[in-house]
Amino acid sequence: MYHSQHKKQITVQNRRTFFLFLGKLSFFSIIGWRLFNIQILDSAKYKTLSKNNQISVKILYPVRGEIKDRNGNIIATNKKVYDLYVIPEQTKNLKETLNNLNNFIHFDFEKKRKIILLSKKVKKFESIKIEENLNWEKLELIEANKNHLPGLHLQEDYQRVYPQNKYFSHILGYISQPTLNDLNLPFISKMPRLDIGKTGLEKFLNEDLIGKAGNIEVEVNSSGKVIREISTNPSMKGQNISISIDQRLQKFSYFELEKHKAGSIVVLNIKTGEILSMASIPAFDPNLIIKKPNKNYWELLLNHPLSPLTNRSIQGLYSPGSTFKMIVALAGLKHKVINYSKTQFCDGKIEFGDRLYHCWNKKGHGSMNIENAIKESCDVFFYELSKKIGIEKIAQMAKEFGLGEKYQIGFENEKQGIVPTKKWKREKLKESWYAGETLITGIGQGYLLTTPLQLVVMTARIAANGKKIEPTIFKRKENKEFDKIPNINNHIGLINRAMFKVVNEQKGTANRSKSEEYSFSGKTGTSQVKKITIEERESDDYKKKDVDWKNRDHALFVGYTPSENPKYAISVVIEHGGSGASTAAPIAKRIFDYIYKQKI
Amino acid sequence: MNFSKIININVLFLFIVILLSFIGMAALYSAAAGNFDPWSKKHIIRFTISLILLFLVSLIDIKYVYKHSYTLFFLTLLLLFSVEIFGIFGKGATRWIQIFGVSIQPSEIVKVSIILALAKFYHNLRFDRIGKIHNLFFPMMIIIIPFTLTVIQPDLGTSLSIFILGVGMMFIAGVKIWKFVVGLSIMVISYPFFWNSIKLYQQKRILSFLNPESDPLGQGYQLIQSKIALGSGSLTGKGFLEGTQSYLEYLPEKQTDFIFTLIGEEFGFIGTIFIVFLYSLLILIAFYISIKSIHIFGRIISLGVALNLFIYVVLNMAMVTGLMPVVGIPLPLLSYGGTAMLSVMISFGLLLNVDLHYNYQKMKP
Repeated sequence: MYHSQHKKQITVQNRRTFFLFLGKLSFFSIIGWRLFNIQILDSAKYKTLSKNNQISVKILYPVRGEIKDRNGNIIATNKKVYDLYVIPEQTKNLKETLNNLNNFIHFDFEKKRKIILLSKKVKKFESIKIEENLNWEKLELIEANKNHLPGLHLQEDYQRVYPQNKYFSHILGYISQPTLNDLNLPFISKMPRLDIGKTGLEKFLNEDLIGKAGNIEVEVNSSGKVIREISTNPSMKGQNISISIDQRLQKFSYFELEKHKAGSIVVLNIKTGEILSMASIPAFDPNLIIKKPNKNYWELLLNHPLSPLTNRSIQGLYSPGSTFKMIVALAGLKHKVINYSKTQFCDGKIEFGDRLYHCWNKKGHGSMNIENAIKESCDVFFYELSKKIGIEKIAQMAKEFGLGEKYQIGFENEKQGIVPTKKWKREKLKESWYAGETLITGIGQGYLLTTPLQLVVMTARIAANGKKIEPTIFKRKENKEFDKIPNINNHIGLINRAMFKVVNEQKGTANRSKSEEYSFSGKTGTSQVKKITIEERESDDYKKKDVDWKNRDHALFVGYTPSENPKYAISVVIEHGGSGASTAAPIAKRIFDYIYKQKI
Repeated sequence: MNFSKIININVLFLFIVILLSFIGMAALYSAAAGNFDPWSKKHIIRFTISLILLFLVSLIDIKYVYKHSYTLFFLTLLLLFSVEIFGIFGKGATRWIQIFGVSIQPSEIVKVSIILALAKFYHNLRFDRIGKIHNLFFPMMIIIIPFTLTVIQPDLGTSLSIFILGVGMMFIAGVKIWKFVVGLSIMVISYPFFWNSIKLYQQKRILSFLNPESDPLGQGYQLIQSKIALGSGSLTGKGFLEGTQSYLEYLPEKQTDFIFTLIGEEFGFIGTIFIVFLYSLLILIAFYISIKSIHIFGRIISLGVALNLFIYVVLNMAMVTGLMPVVGIPLPLLSYGGTAMLSVMISFGLLLNVDLHYNYQKMKP
């Protein structure tokens, strides 16, 4: 039995060995045929290549992808221009060529040094950009004197253009030549001419926008002239990317903001978390940063006292002021410190630990329940409430609503803000927590700091009855599922009702901004910039508007519309704008008007 | 060990092996512009050491080889594992391991032990039971474990060789052809599971390997230089030491994976075809030894060794002539590189061992 199997196996194996032999033979034949092709048939071609000529491989640079707003309007694109390049390999002497060039067009010593430095870093047949976007006069000069300038090349190129100028400055950022450090990035290595995004989405999306480099193999003679192309492997344009911003709303936000000196507006689609508008002033024009020479413009930006390069929507840190009261109220309700009917009497101030804590309304609000305390923004009520809740539970609720969190939506330098706790203070300030600081935090002052983006996310989460809306700057589908914040289901309705009353009932702090055509809810906030002394409080000046601009309060408003089944959330912060009710709420209303009018 | 067996050793095979390694030495001498340093001298030293090992391996009683086949497989597998572990704790991707101060690339060694392990397995197996599920599972593990370990290194050239080698040997052993079709389909289907089960940094390593964009000039440039070297060699070549080094300056692997192009430039089509002929001869002798052998163990080892050599040669030549993307496979005996030389010579030792024990009666079933 075993022997018969053995014999059978030997037969099968011999047969297969024969097949394997045939298979190997055919593979070797293919190799032999290939060698015959290269070494005999095409030999003449390769011989000439090898003898007199050089093969040069040039990178075909990819065209950067475009960026569009949510409706397909182009907000970053490319324009054809002529640039001047030098290929070190084709010059007799790089320094000499550059010196000759200086006779025709001026360029400074520092630049010359940089080019020579870069030429040592990259392969010697690589072109290095000398000047971009040449005007006609220079183009003609260089064309006419070509013989004196070996190694120089004019090349069609693309220049980045931002058609919306400053309106998308902070969102898009800008592009620029890579630094020597950038050249180590895997996706741009060995492409020294490639502009890459330096900040904003241009930087975040570099890998998608850059596209793929192609290359072209050319035969060049000894003087560097291209004799013929051997093969071309075209480059691939980078991806076009759409973002969630609505160009019209973005522009209108700037229109509103520019009536003031500094501030931010962020509008969020509550259903999807998409950011529809994110405006920050002062802003800058990225086209002017890209355009060389840009030295003067840079200096202007860097010396500007209000730092236009800062994206206040995500980098500005503000005390939320009274807009924080919803969080404190929710913490109180969740932990059953108060209920709907419990009241607190406000006579304009309370005393705690031999210090007076004032309500913004010096005369006092009288007897307040929680709903009215939000509606009329009674400070005393929230002093008392936060005292009973304690800082830890307030901080916990604040974090549920997205304060003290980085959303990482695509921007570097996004600020985290501060949601203070005892542990935080011990670690950061090496001090223990004072009970009075809980009271101050309870009205959104003190250590508590938030960004406008965090405020709009907080508002959206309240409006969505506790769904943890996650913001995004990219387009997102309507049916995105969000987690729910636990144990607030029974209380969130009350908060939304109170926010409705803020706008729509008499005595509500934003009642003057009420709309007849649609409903919206919200909460005003006025955050102190300067500590108010007792003397100032008693003096008449405090009431008047002639306080120094930089000492004026920040004006805040957060809100959403429509009040039932809300779709849009907003946060408005006007630096030193006075009060939330008088400055920020009317802006929010005008933005909502615009949204309905333009059917955004 | 009976040294007197040495008189029966296959002299033709040995002669071709020595001839090839001397051609390698000459090519490396030329690659260094007429210098024995840095490659040529070391190459011949390595060859000498490997040749001694070849003799030792060929003289061992085949019974012992058979007895320790699995042990050897596990030991080499352990080496391969340790590379992966050093890869985690060390500085990222590595294929090398230090043993007694010598750098070894376990993925090369493991190929030989796969041949041994599969040969032992099929020797033990009655032919009518070869298709049983559990009898398919075991050899598949012998292939898949080292294959997976080399993929995640990532050493795609070697993992590809391991895969072809393993599948080829199962074919030789007599596994039904439709089972290969099924097996291949299962592999394709289970690919996403494999991908998800490996670590993120391993995924990244593999992706960065597969993504040549990291060097946009990269392979196209290397290849055109390689073709110019081969093509300008024409029929008879430019002559020894007459190759234009300037082109090969652009070949970072001229002394290892691209050594064949240098031979093509200096010795022409005649030279390259002669090399192909020498390798074919080695493979032919291995086939002859296989058919001659009366025991399955020897037959499968011989065919495995032949297949292993064939894979090296064809992948390397296909790569340098532009028939296949550059994956990093040396040309045995010609390329500079220690472990591949050692691994191939040990496998040749096994082949000659089978030749010396072709009618070993104790191995008969």
